[in-house]
Amino acid sequence: MNLKKPIALFAGIALFILPFFLELEGLSLMGHITLGIFLLAAVFWVTEPIPIYATSLLVIFLQILFLSVQGPLFQLNEVPSATPAAVEEGVWEIPAGALQDGERVLLLVNKNRAEAVPVEVVGEDAETVTVRSDLVAANSRLVLDADHWLLEFPAPGYTSYLNALANPIIILFLGGFVLASAAVKYQLDRNLTRVILRPFGTKPAYVTMGLMLVTAGLSAFMSNTATTAMMMTVILPIVAQLDPNDRYRIGIALAIPFAANVGGIATPIGTPPNAIVIGALQEQGVSIAFGSWMMLAVPLVVVLLVFVWWLLLKVYPAREERIVLDLSGKFNLSWKAVTLYVVFGLTVFLWVTEAWHGLSSSVVAFFPIAALTAFQVIEKDEIRNLSWEVLWLMAGGIALGISMRDTGLAEWLIGLIRWDAMGAFLVLAVFGFVAAGLSNFISNTVAASLLVPLAVTLGASGILAEGVSFEMNAVIIAVGASLGMALPISTPPNAIAMSTGMLRTADMAKMGILIGIVGLIIALALSQVLWPLLGLK
Amino acid sequence: MKEIYIVCIDDEPDVLRAVARDLAPLEEGFPIETAGSADEAKQVIDGILDNGNCVGLLLCDHVMPGKSGVRLLIELRGHIELEAARKVLFTGQAGLEDTVEAINHAKITHYLAKPWDKEELLKAARDELTSYVIATGRDPLPYMRYLDQTRLAEYVRQRNRIDTGQ
Repeated sequence: MNLKKPIALFAGIALFILPFFLELEGLSLMGHITLGIFLLAAVFWVTEPIPIYATSLLVIFLQILFLSVQGPLFQLNEVPSATPAAVEEGVWEIPAGALQDGERVLLLVNKNRAEAVPVEVVGEDAETVTVRSDLVAANSRLVLDADHWLLEFPAPGYTSYLNALANPIIILFLGGFVLASAAVKYQLDRNLTRVILRPFGTKPAYVTMGLMLVTAGLSAFMSNTATTAMMMTVILPIVAQLDPNDRYRIGIALAIPFAANVGGIATPIGTPPNAIVIGALQEQGVSIAFGSWMMLAVPLVVVLLVFVWWLLLKVYPAREERIVLDLSGKFNLSWKAVTLYVVFGLTVFLWVTEAWHGLSSSVVAFFPIAALTAFQVIEKDEIRNLSWEVLWLMAGGIALGISMRDTGLAEWLIGLIRWDAMGAFLVLAVFGFVAAGLSNFISNTVAASLLVPLAVTLGASGILAEGVSFEMNAVIIAVGASLGMALPISTPPNAIAMSTGMLRTADMAKMGILIGIVGLIIALALSQVLWPLLGLK
Repeated sequence: MKEIYIVCIDDEPDVLRAVARDLAPLEEGFPIETAGSADEAKQVIDGILDNGNCVGLLLCDHVMPGKSGVRLLIELRGHIELEAARKVLFTGQAGLEDTVEAINHAKITHYLAKPWDKEELLKAARDELTSYVIATGRDPLPYMRYLDQTRLAEYVRQRNRIDTGQ
């Protein structure tokens, strides 16, 4: 029997329970509970005893159970309180314990929130105090234990955790999914590929360039998985014609997944880690517009693609003089397909021009959702086929990040490391390399979900006073998460390319590691030169 | 993971050996079992199903002592686990009537004439198994290297997801 799953399950549950028995200095009780949820999520996401999206849903459920006012923890416990006894108009006799330092009393507003009210002490004896206040009423509930754990954390209602499932950034992604699904249905992706590839001719170097450009461009707006699969159908016929010993085969089979991974960096909807980062920044009051993200990311994508192109042609040179792709086919001109083209074009236009009209990208994203369903360009079958589990996976990451910040866990965790010994640039580099390293082995979305709350808090907490930007740290995590592409399991595009049997893992690993490192170096260089000019503090 | 088996049924041991040899490029991904008669075929199939695996391709001779191939395939339609299995009638001796019955009642998905061409047999098996993987909604990646890659890649594009990796 395979013991890996039971051990992972047990470890996750044990680590979830562990913080309940610890008293960690500087961490609130709610922080302890969040730590338990964080550890469980980390173990389950990394070792996958259950699917990663199921772990995300579990995170949200545990948050509702333990960290919301409606959860049993808050429902079954009460802050000890007393009601005042009226002595005369505006004068009350209250238990001595209810009088707080500084002549105040705390009135319970709801289960776990109290409001301080000033009172004037007019008399006191051993057990009671007589106070004068117009703000106290006969039905006021006076807190007797001001340090009670229930008052430490203003637990939100459960809706704030459920909201993660429809977070604006999730809606943005849903808009992207709907567009991509319709594009596949009406062959828009394939026809665009055909048209764009034509001018690249038949020289192998240009063919590779064209293929990479199309792959990166499509994967910036569609899922990297669907893009890679589609591009595989384009290259398989030519690969089949090449001599099995022609190394160009390997180069071209690597160019597609690598271009898809890199292309995902280009837009907020390109790949889920981007969304996790943008969502986390939004929680901090920093909104990055669609177009602004592209200004940050596209230069990186372009420079890196040129490097990948050069590298693959160098290592896997072509033997043939001519590579002829089959580019036949024509655009679907049915009215539904034309509706899709218009909606697609308009949506992308509105996304990149957010700075002019001010409509947020999530608002714009609802346009294709509403329009394509209203015109029945996509129907029930396509809706059922959307990757809902990816949205749920992201929602769990976003929800966990919110709790980590609100309960003080993120701040406590980063307090464990001596950051002040590092400079701002080193911190940035560490986040980038850790994100890339982790995403070689675990889901890119998960790597971003685990790291971003720490990076954002580190910047906001002021532990590192000079020159540290949480925005920069967060963005480098998103970039790093997409640059982990050394192994077949690193990303779905890698898995697809490897499954064809055209590649050996060693080919992918050597090139993937090199590209990851070079990509991070380019990103770090841009972070010092270009990004500050674009307003990324 | 459930393994997808190829089952070859023929009363001539030489034919079985030759077929198994011709299909060897697929064997790593699709284990091959052989049976010398209709009754033995049923035992072999039950054994595969009992072990929690499934049959993706039945390659069946027609004229055999005892039960004919077409008769066997008709009887196997009672097996709900074999509903999606691809059925190839592999014969040189089926008349028009037998062929019509094979299509209408045994629901064969491919007809392969004996004597056969090695490449043709391999291509038919590849095509049929590709259809099986797509029809059963399996993750196509583990089978990609053995089957029709373009069709499977197109399937991934439409479905927009794969089960392995992340």
